[in-house]
Amino acid sequence: MSSNLLRVALRASKVPQRAVSTSPVCAKNIVIDQKLRDEIHPKIGNREIVGWGHNGNASYWDRSEFPAPAIRFKEDTPDVLQLREKEKGDWKSLSLDEKKQLYRASFCQTYAEMNAPTGEWKAMVAAILFGLTATGWVMFFMKKVVYPPPPSTITREWQEASLQRMLDQGQGAIQGVSAKWDYDKLEWKN
Amino acid sequence: MFRVALRASASLQNAAKQCLKVQGSALTAVRHGHGKVETEEEFDSRYVKYFDRPDIDGWEIRKAMNDLTGEDLVPEPKIIIAALKACRRLNDYSLAVRYLESVQWKCGTQKAKIWPYIHQEIKPTLEELGILTPEEMGYDKPELALKSVFDM
Repeated sequence: MSSNLLRVALRASKVPQRAVSTSPVCAKNIVIDQKLRDEIHPKIGNREIVGWGHNGNASYWDRSEFPAPAIRFKEDTPDVLQLREKEKGDWKSLSLDEKKQLYRASFCQTYAEMNAPTGEWKAMVAAILFGLTATGWVMFFMKKVVYPPPPSTITREWQEASLQRMLDQGQGAIQGVSAKWDYDKLEWKN
Repeated sequence: MFRVALRASASLQNAAKQCLKVQGSALTAVRHGHGKVETEEEFDSRYVKYFDRPDIDGWEIRKAMNDLTGEDLVPEPKIIIAALKACRRLNDYSLAVRYLESVQWKCGTQKAKIWPYIHQEIKPTLEELGILTPEEMGYDKPELALKSVFDM
């Protein structure tokens, strides 16, 4: 909704000016009408709308792939405005501190801050390990307390005796298990 | 009877031909053409020209920067220089530094290889306009921590 409104406002304010003028016009201020002002400005306060935002919204959002958000990060306080006046002069006369203030007035986080590691992976790993441990304890509990002992047929002795009996009876003498047993040498055929 | 049918079919064919003809000449060029593929030089000069316009405004410069950052490329130094000069004309120092940061970010894993070249190319402009690189601003490393929104 607000994206459409902003688009309409921008179109209304910018294009005709550009279309009719023959001499260079520097439309630095984006003019919005009162209706749009009532819609947008309660949310963004006194912050200057300077560009095109995500989906046309007049919002501030630090994203690497979108270096210039639609509005400045800080409101136009007298200090900042004074600095902006100074900014119109030679930039070499600005001190490092003033440059930083100007930057922070327009933007919240630098790229390095945006992309700084958050250490969130540690919490993730901890959560995963916690989950695995919990599952392990549940399994331990089930095996110890809930399940009955395994059937007698699952022991090694039983299964060996069972195989011996199959060989004695000659089960699968053509293609099955007995076919692979050498009855003369009493060992498995290669 | 047959002759009438023949004549009718001939005129129909004629009409069809006319239709095809109209379509053939002008429309297919529009409909089937995918436009000219822009060469890299054209791309660069388009952006340089865009930034060099004396009447560029804050909205347009930001749009171009955002678009350029969205492209799968690291902008040529001449584009960056044009952008920095446009920032100067618009009296927006912060945007110049921000754009340099964005260029560095676009270098990605190849920053050690690409950025020195870009820096060397744009250095005269930086000195002329008094723009500090993100490193000189101290923005190559995080400066401030942002409080989590959940703690506010």
